[in-house]
Amino acid sequence: MAATRTGSRACEIFTTLEYGPVPESHACALAWLDTQDRHLGHYVNGRWLKPEHRSSVPCQDPITGENLASCLQAQTEDVAGAVEAARTSLENWSTQPGAFRAQHLTRLAKMIQKHQRLLWTLESLVTGRAIREVRDRDVPLAQQLLQHHAVQAHTQEEALAGWEPLGVIGLILPPTFCFLEMMWRICPALAVGCTVVVLVPPASPTPLLVAQLAGELGQFPGILNVISGPASLGPVLASQPGVQKVAFCGAIEGGLRLLIQESVWDETMRRLQARMGRLRGGRGLDGAVDMGARGAAARDLAQRYVREAQSQGAQVFQAGSMPPDSPFFPASLISDLPPASPCTQAEVPWPLVVASPFRTAKEALAVANWTPRGGSASVWSERLGQALELAYGLQMGTVWINAHGLRDPAVPTGGCKESGSSWHGGPDGLYEYLRPSGTPTCLPYLSENLNYDTFGLAVPSTLPAGPETGLSPAPPYGLFVGGRFQAPGARSSRPIRDSQGNLHGYVAEGGAKDIRGAVEAAHQAAPGWVGQSPGARAALLWALAAALQRRESTLVSRLERHGVELKVAKAEVELSVRRLRAWGARVQTQGCTLQVAGLKGPVLRLQEPLGVLAIVCPEEWPLLAFVSLLAPALAHGNTVVLVPSGACPIPALEVCQDMATLLPGGLVNVVTGDRDHLTRCLALHQDIQALWYFGSAQGSQFVEWASAGNLKPVWVNRGCPRAWDQDAEGAGPELGLRAARTKALWLPMGD
Amino acid sequence: MLAHQRGTELDLSWISKIQVNQPAVLRRAEQIQARRPVKKEWQAAWLLKAVTFIDLTTLSGDDTSSNIQRLCYKAKYPIREDLLKALNMHDKGITTAAVCVYPARVCDAVKALKAAGCDIPVASVATGFPAGQTHLKTRLEEIRLAVEDGASEVDVVINRTLVLTGQWEGSDFIKTSTGKETVNATFPVAIVMLRAIRDFFWKTGNKVGFKPAGGIRSAKDSLAWLSLIKEELGDEWLKPELFRIGASTLLADIERQIYHHVTGRYAAYHDLPMS
Repeated sequence: MAATRTGSRACEIFTTLEYGPVPESHACALAWLDTQDRHLGHYVNGRWLKPEHRSSVPCQDPITGENLASCLQAQTEDVAGAVEAARTSLENWSTQPGAFRAQHLTRLAKMIQKHQRLLWTLESLVTGRAIREVRDRDVPLAQQLLQHHAVQAHTQEEALAGWEPLGVIGLILPPTFCFLEMMWRICPALAVGCTVVVLVPPASPTPLLVAQLAGELGQFPGILNVISGPASLGPVLASQPGVQKVAFCGAIEGGLRLLIQESVWDETMRRLQARMGRLRGGRGLDGAVDMGARGAAARDLAQRYVREAQSQGAQVFQAGSMPPDSPFFPASLISDLPPASPCTQAEVPWPLVVASPFRTAKEALAVANWTPRGGSASVWSERLGQALELAYGLQMGTVWINAHGLRDPAVPTGGCKESGSSWHGGPDGLYEYLRPSGTPTCLPYLSENLNYDTFGLAVPSTLPAGPETGLSPAPPYGLFVGGRFQAPGARSSRPIRDSQGNLHGYVAEGGAKDIRGAVEAAHQAAPGWVGQSPGARAALLWALAAALQRRESTLVSRLERHGVELKVAKAEVELSVRRLRAWGARVQTQGCTLQVAGLKGPVLRLQEPLGVLAIVCPEEWPLLAFVSLLAPALAHGNTVVLVPSGACPIPALEVCQDMATLLPGGLVNVVTGDRDHLTRCLALHQDIQALWYFGSAQGSQFVEWASAGNLKPVWVNRGCPRAWDQDAEGAGPELGLRAARTKALWLPMGD
Repeated sequence: MLAHQRGTELDLSWISKIQVNQPAVLRRAEQIQARRPVKKEWQAAWLLKAVTFIDLTTLSGDDTSSNIQRLCYKAKYPIREDLLKALNMHDKGITTAAVCVYPARVCDAVKALKAAGCDIPVASVATGFPAGQTHLKTRLEEIRLAVEDGASEVDVVINRTLVLTGQWEGSDFIKTSTGKETVNATFPVAIVMLRAIRDFFWKTGNKVGFKPAGGIRSAKDSLAWLSLIKEELGDEWLKPELFRIGASTLLADIERQIYHHVTGRYAAYHDLPMS
């Protein structure tokens, strides 16, 4: 027998049956850092770049504080270089057949598989997250994402006919979870033929490693470029010529809010505490640890919140085995927080859970939706009917029933409200990086001269403008709000001239108060309209189409007054009627069921209305564009505030007469007036859920700037005209995608 | 074994209120196995602890006094003495928790254990094991005879006809299955049973024991079972009075792992005594 190794502590452990350390070796991560001499640069066009005269930031082990490497901070020219690389490789990459891109992605998936230990130890080492999270979830998910999107690329020509890749995508990542968040975004982008420049926060080496793995595949080195630098480089990346889209991902994992029904409060809290008591925290590279650390800053944040909550009278439960020293913080359950205390309003930091009781499901829904965030939520109940009712009512991007935190490449993940309006994964994730074929590629135009403070602020005063030359019969004068024509708050009017320059008539001059009233009316009408069955919505759209047909001669004569040829005017009316019918028919085929590998049960992909949708219609095609925008918005269950063409609002007001009799009041509201001013009022309104703007480049810029305040989804044309009479641009699937919001509803099943 | 349950009034409303979220149970089962590895000295100590939970079992039609005798000897000396010495655990009296045999072999087992000079209890399966489909009268008689022969623990097969028609019985210990089914001790089933034990404890203060049986063959499996009990019920359940593992071949694998821990080499089968 060989020499024996003695276990001196075995005796003690035999009695206590405690857990021991299970250290995962991170030697390979260190060896990889050594290949770069512990000095990481940027990975661009298949090569490491280490430009001189740049400041660098240390990359530290968040637990020991040990210096692992130094990371170069990019400067503007480094960003420009990376974008240039992406632009150069775009031509080649985007013109490859989908099947070929699929192969390349599959190779990258295999590459990741081959080096998975390096990936997971590096990620865990530098982020401090528990190895089991990274190894058992993130890395397999990264491979699945690549494989899923390889399949999408393979079928792209067929399944996504009529769409083309956007171009170069800029991606800005948060400090935590940057590896996985990067994968969610680059996979669809690369699959459809875009190329990517990723800006990672300093000291995040994992994305650099992924870029290196991709680069070492040999072909197409420039499709994925990663530079590390401060957040202040974001605007630089966004304003690079050639960058068609910037995807931005903020900090990911916060704490949780837990709403528990009063009748099961005691029982639930007891079980929760029993379970939390068994959580083990510690060094992320320990295989038997549930929770790692997120560094000193995260700990301080949690500590401050807990102290604050305690001072406001809350109960705090902390348990579980946790190393006492920095930078760990135990999972904490906070309850009895007074409803109006500042902590209740504030965002809950990781790793805290704030529990509060509720009485009825209705109350729970109201509380859960009373937040600017709209990422994900789970509903736990054995009453399926009630659980579904809640799941449908929650304003969230993802809802799990009796489960939490499941993710799959085939299921779109996204959010609403301030959680953002973009999608990753599933069919929706692909459209984020596509545009309808043939749409003009308007390069982002940013005017330095635009004064956000004064844009559209003042309304020019209007005076009597000569003899009225006949509107017969005139549409009722006023703004169409809440189902009837109302006098504008400002009690003034603006003259509308025909193509000859003669005064055609006056329309009401709407202002901020009128917008407020219109939005309010739209909100009031929303629950009724959402509650309508798709069939009922379709019937109303068809009724409106019929009414338009009856009004054809009037509409044609109005258009003629504005210089439209008779034949063209007739065609415009006819096409408008067709649009209403087409969207009415499409209403009935929405949503679908997704199948997820490894999950028993369906995932429902629901198409939900955005809420109150504001639309600033283009100047051209005064009737057709108005109808083409209105129809998909209504079909998807939104209520609408519209600003019609400024030069020619009369046809839209004609349609309002029919809507007054056919549609429920408040469903559609039309406000005439100075377009810039109304645009300003709409963009700065916080309770509009989405805004579409078709007008000047300056107006587009203002709309994007103003809407960033609450991250409402916007769709602007940047001053580019659109061919509203072509089906692709006037009635394409793009409008449907813009008019609805996806919700993924997970329904795991089991007996 | 424990003093008998004080017992409580049977309240069927408890049972009707129980809800099992199967997908969540499956996920939990996966997690426990992946998240609580024990290594090195901890592994050795845990494995020795696992030995003390084993109901060393032989339930074959061809059991005779000779293999029962060998089994009993193995129960008394489960791990080779020199290995225990190397771990400084030779004087801790490590034996299996019990030997488990058919009623007709109880006599042999009691005799063999007496000869080996130890007080390891003899457990007998009874009541028409493994199907339990015999008359109540013969089932009761079977228990009586086994006890008469010296069995101090009896694994009773419950009447599953009654269970399936909603008529429940109470007990000191619950077992995942007879070990003779096609599917025996699985983690998801165990989680549900352990939660029931915990709820019963919270409601009444009574501790019911738990015995998984069947299919637990590897040392690694046994470690997972220990951490399952530790996670779901806590350390207080980790004693032979409240936790047993019904197994026949598990012990051999544990001994091999201990051998490896002590020597750094993997043992050949003949390096370790047969059971």
